Amino acid sequence: MGCGLLVAGLLLASSAPPVRAESELARGRRVFHATGGCSCHTNYPGEGDEAPLLAGGRPLKTPFGVFYSSNITSDIETGLGRWSDADFIRAMREGLSPEGQHYFPVFPYTSFAGLSDADLVDLKSYIDSLPRIRRANRDPDAPFPFSWRPALAGWKWLNFAPERVVDESGQSAEWNRGRYLVSAAAHCGECHTPRTLTGGLDRSMWLAGSSDGPEGELAPNITPDRKTGIGRWSIPDLVWYLEMGIKPDGDDTQGLMSEVIEHGYTHLPASDLKAIAIYLESLAPIENDLYSK
Amino acid sequence: MIRTTRFSFSTFLRLTISAILIGSLGFANAALADSHENDAAQVEYRQTLMEIVGANMGAMGDIMKNGLTLPGHVAVHAGQMAEMAQLIAPAFKNNIATDATDAKQKIWQDWTKFESAIGDFEEAARNLQAAAKGGDMATVGPAMKALGKSCGGCHKPFRKPKEESFKSKAGHAGHDDHG
Repeated sequence: MGCGLLVAGLLLASSAPPVRAESELARGRRVFHATGGCSCHTNYPGEGDEAPLLAGGRPLKTPFGVFYSSNITSDIETGLGRWSDADFIRAMREGLSPEGQHYFPVFPYTSFAGLSDADLVDLKSYIDSLPRIRRANRDPDAPFPFSWRPALAGWKWLNFAPERVVDESGQSAEWNRGRYLVSAAAHCGECHTPRTLTGGLDRSMWLAGSSDGPEGELAPNITPDRKTGIGRWSIPDLVWYLEMGIKPDGDDTQGLMSEVIEHGYTHLPASDLKAIAIYLESLAPIENDLYSK
Repeated sequence: MIRTTRFSFSTFLRLTISAILIGSLGFANAALADSHENDAAQVEYRQTLMEIVGANMGAMGDIMKNGLTLPGHVAVHAGQMAEMAQLIAPAFKNNIATDATDAKQKIWQDWTKFESAIGDFEEAARNLQAAAKGGDMATVGPAMKALGKSCGGCHKPFRKPKEESFKSKAGHAGHDDHG
């Protein structure tokens, strides 16, 4: 009887999210906001501000078809409720499900691979602390072979070289923090870098903007080129923009960028926003006029 | 002689009718041209009006993000935005959604919602004005953020995304059409 209760207790403990310390949740919340509030996993465009948080179902239009974001709440049946920390780290770093299936690269594991173990575990803790929502995932509306997961092994071989973002010696702590946020957590390059014919990031044009950004939007050049990028923006301009969503000319932001600011960057500490600005302003400017293409 | 008179009368009739027709067409063309010129002028005014609103927003940003010591200025800019808000609905009353504008047809399809979004914008500007007059930065920051969001409350449903508008107007980089 005693043994039965013990086993039942252990089973219960293994199916419930582990209890996390408040400090871990606070750190996880910061990583969550640095990702832009994982906005792609909430269907704001289709369901507005009442959209169930992180329950997925948001259509993401790409040149290869329409993909639907997945439910990343800790719901047992339809979300990540059964995932261990190791499962989560593997998904974010390698683009693989716990069953070993490849994820479509619309999920930017190509950038998240740069996150530290500690940040990934904290992020999972924070997501686990949010309400569980039951919503089944939806298959993509994409033609063969783009909807065929085994083909992604070839795509990864061509386009994916997982690499942790580690500090560069000789650079300031602020610059390194900015580089980590831009390259890994905030995954800026996924939208602001043009893609090759096979859908990989064109690294020679890193952050120089893309006319085929997410959901068919144009993602501007955010290298400090004075003519076609953000070269005329000061550090306070960039910090203000990431906090308020207001450009130097007083105009507001639309599209996916307004969402990642509202649900993510605006909640980051000013030190993180400044670090992002310092790193972006330090990049080599690339002239890339998207508007006349 | 009689035949000549008949011919002249008939010619006179034909000429008169032709003249009336041509004249009418001319008037119609002139009226159409006037109407197009008027449309263009209205769109231009709408865009200038929105640029003034944006300029006030930009000026407040200049002050706040750079920590400039200019007491009372934010309140004046916020007050001006609230005043400008009252001009937006009358400026957009006429349904003009040409290629030269980023205004969506949805404005006139859902006019009540459009007016309501402008009302939210005016209220947010008044709130910021009051917060700035009070001088408590703890309330000014959130009020500023709320005002920024209220811009989107109108732009998201009723204005073509700027990046999309750039796409459809190749070579127009840097333009600032709002209206």
